[in-house]
Amino acid sequence: MALMPKRVKHRKSQRRRIKGNATRGNRVVFGDFGLQATQPGWIKAQTIEAGRIAAQQYVRGEGRLYVRVFPHKSITSRPLETRMGKGKGEPEFWVATVKPGTVLYELGGVTEQQARVCFARLAHKMPVRVRFVKRRPAVGA
Amino acid sequence: MSDVLHVEVRRERGSRAARKLRQAGQIPAVLYGHGQEVVPLSLRHEEIEAAVRHRAHLVSLEGGVTESALIQSIQWDTFGVEILHADFYRVTKGEKHEAVVAIMLRGEAPGSKQGGVVQQLLHEVEIMCPVELIPDVFEVSVNELQLHQEFTAGQLKLPEGASLITSADEVVVHCVDAARMAAAAEEPALAEGEVAEPEVIGRKKEETEEEGD
Repeated sequence: MALMPKRVKHRKSQRRRIKGNATRGNRVVFGDFGLQATQPGWIKAQTIEAGRIAAQQYVRGEGRLYVRVFPHKSITSRPLETRMGKGKGEPEFWVATVKPGTVLYELGGVTEQQARVCFARLAHKMPVRVRFVKRRPAVGA
Repeated sequence: MSDVLHVEVRRERGSRAARKLRQAGQIPAVLYGHGQEVVPLSLRHEEIEAAVRHRAHLVSLEGGVTESALIQSIQWDTFGVEILHADFYRVTKGEKHEAVVAIMLRGEAPGSKQGGVVQQLLHEVEIMCPVELIPDVFEVSVNELQLHQEFTAGQLKLPEGASLITSADEVVVHCVDAARMAAAAEEPALAEGEVAEPEVIGRKKEETEEEGD
């Protein structure tokens, strides 16, 4: 079943613009490698799930996959052959709002070569351009 | 061994000057600590990138200032590709300071041949250590890690005089059953009668039904 929130404050949301780059969720935190969006966009819950399944099949029994995005936003649509008016349509599906820089998935416990192959399969499913990233070196105090 | 960074004292301040500096292949930086004056610096981006790549903590600054310093923090761009700014903290030999040190796994765990998956849960630890002894990286050998075994932060070999700030009980790496992990990753199916729509906070069920009528 595709992801969606358990509880929401409002069933429907306004569309809103996606402005700027990601300032949070733009680092590899849990795994060693990540798939980072370089374009803004909406990623449907079904697409996130499809990517998860594709990657899970590849890393089964070897590594661990982390999904870093969640579809919090509901998207409504009007039924076919309906006249305008009579209020906003009903929620049809859920999306994750993605800004450039957002890390979508992470992989741990696999080699870089395996991670690249896995994310290449996954990247084809994504509606935004993505790139392969590695964990940043730990520096600082 | 500490990396040597050739720095110049920066005269111009502000974001506009910093942007020009970056276009010229330099990185703005700042040196502070020990209650002494704050010195704005600039250095070549190749040098700081090399130091970060080597996971160096202690560096020797030469040129505009001649001091030993710790890389206190690094600012990256959104995509984590380019370094935007570096903070250096003045230190003297023998002084103890906090440091974040990466943990790298080495070897192959026998547990992975028994149907297990090696999972690294902790990628870096925080230590309090004499600055000249801060290791670039902690290498953890998993050659003796059996199925259902774990390696905790307390088992790391620290340099002399160093202490762990991260909790010693935190698990660095463990070997878990692959089948159990795969089962946990599977999503539970939607139960019969369960509505595929989230609950609306503050709205009672009866109200929702009335609206639907």
